[in-house]
Amino acid sequence: MRRWTGLAVLAVAALAIGVLAGPVDLGARDVVSGLMGRGDPVHVVIVRNLRVPRVLLAFAVGGSLAVTGAVLQALVRNPLADPYLLGLSGGAGLGAVLAITLGLAGPWAVPIAAAIGALLAIVTVYRLAVVAGSVLDTRVLLLGGVVVGAFASAVVGAILALSPAESLRNALVWLLGGFDGASWQALGIFLIYAVVPIAVLYRASRPLDLLSLGEEPARFLGADVEPLKRRLYVSASVLTAAAVAVSGIIGFVGLVVPHAIRLVWGHTHRSLLPAAFLLGGALLAGADALARTAFAPLTLPVGVVTAVLGVPVFALLLRRWAT
Amino acid sequence: MGERIASRPRARTRPGVVRRVCLAGIPLAVASVLSCGSPPADTHQPSARIVSLAPASTELLFALGAGPQVVGRTRWGVDPPEAEAVPSVGDGLEPNVEAVAGRRPDLVVFYQSPANAAAMEQLAQLGIRIVAIRMDRLEDVIDAARELGHATGHAARADSLADGFAAALDSARADSGAGPRRSVLILSWDQPPIIIGGGSFQSQLVDLAGARNVFGELTRPSAQVSIETIAARDPDIVLVIGGGTGTPDWAERPEWKVVRAVRERRFARVEGTAFSHPSFRALDAARLLRRALEAVPQ
Repeated sequence: MRRWTGLAVLAVAALAIGVLAGPVDLGARDVVSGLMGRGDPVHVVIVRNLRVPRVLLAFAVGGSLAVTGAVLQALVRNPLADPYLLGLSGGAGLGAVLAITLGLAGPWAVPIAAAIGALLAIVTVYRLAVVAGSVLDTRVLLLGGVVVGAFASAVVGAILALSPAESLRNALVWLLGGFDGASWQALGIFLIYAVVPIAVLYRASRPLDLLSLGEEPARFLGADVEPLKRRLYVSASVLTAAAVAVSGIIGFVGLVVPHAIRLVWGHTHRSLLPAAFLLGGALLAGADALARTAFAPLTLPVGVVTAVLGVPVFALLLRRWAT
Repeated sequence: MGERIASRPRARTRPGVVRRVCLAGIPLAVASVLSCGSPPADTHQPSARIVSLAPASTELLFALGAGPQVVGRTRWGVDPPEAEAVPSVGDGLEPNVEAVAGRRPDLVVFYQSPANAAAMEQLAQLGIRIVAIRMDRLEDVIDAARELGHATGHAARADSLADGFAAALDSARADSGAGPRRSVLILSWDQPPIIIGGGSFQSQLVDLAGARNVFGELTRPSAQVSIETIAARDPDIVLVIGGGTGTPDWAERPEWKVVRAVRERRFARVEGTAFSHPSFRALDAARLLRRALEAVPQ
């Protein structure tokens, strides 16, 4: 119980810091009156239309990535699994670069194309990994993810080499990830796509415990393994593709947060998944606040901050775990 | 010349390179015109066969009258139109050394960048003279013109053009107006927002056009900032350099509506290579820019 309280406090603190901190120096009083819609109209729009949706989106995306990472690590039984492992980042990159090369117009062209590219990569990997009619082979899933991702990255490399457009390099900066595109609209879109997969993954907590023992033991203990694997894979993929669409590709959170929770919390998915969601959300919301403010008015890529904050903590945990 | 600027296709190479370098976190040197590899220019015979590996230096060489000596150029950002006739050797950054050497040059003009160090070394070992030039600010054009003029046997013309440009620049600065200046955001990319800072010649063009860059105090050519910072600085006009007219697509996204100038659709757009690298055409560019900014209602 104490651990849950600690995690909840951490999450609330990260959200509060995310709203209080920003490149524009607003005092706590300005922020509160901005939330109420009073005071300087510029402060009001900064707090209500930029900071609040941004910190909520960062939290939701961070939580989703951590949950996805936890599920995929159990599904493929590989500690290196992360949400982008299965060809998704390569596909998203290809989608984004193609959207710019082909001159697709519209305010949402790049994010939508990235999400479509990610989904196409997922479908390809899935087709590769389904053998003998209905069996999803998780080893092929891993390897298929690597080759599909490598192929997409190679095509991106070719397009970049042959094209002069600086906007393509900027597309790659976009892929580095961040929450500059955050708005209430983006948050709404993400939640529409995220709620069902998160619910599906949480409902699969118990069978996930069995699956992490291995497919044979899981089957022996009564899990309906094949439909379960497909359900997990599809849900995790849709969740990650939605995250890519609103925030690009943010590494580290999905890889390390699940491990950190396992080290302190144990391996039961019913508590692992919600705890990973809270920690992932807090980490990403806090990291984004730091990214915006550390060198204001310049901003850092948020993935850099998550790694700088997270790696030392994780290294300490590993050390404790090893001894 | 003005018409030509207006009708040039969008050129991308130089600012992209600048941006890439600064995104990689490499601090930009203040002293921008450098030469290396060889003894001082005046001990050499003027070069007869030149390969120019940056659109800005190609343009400068033609302006100095060294155009007939240019036997190779990069494939992007061709200016002036006569340079189209020169064979391309491919990219200017990390160039194909074999393609460059194949043009049998006695002088290769590089864009000064760590990415080019290996190619410079390789060509120098072939006994080819190397000049590396970097132009970030308008003043850099003056030094670069003199250096290239001396290297190519057009010293007199280079000196006179450089003196003339320096004088014109001074008087344009004096004429650019002492009254209240409208504030301009020069946006290079929308997500993440990348803006042009005071270290870029594009910021100088805005000054010469009688306005003021809202990020003029940043000493770097470009930087990634957040929309919140832009909203707080509340620019009067958003300047978009590059193709297109009217309101850009990204302006429809809700997060950008926080910025007053975006909400009120106060956009100015210019394009052409005079806006993508510093050159003798800068004052024409500043005049075009002034017109574009004045077209935005007060």
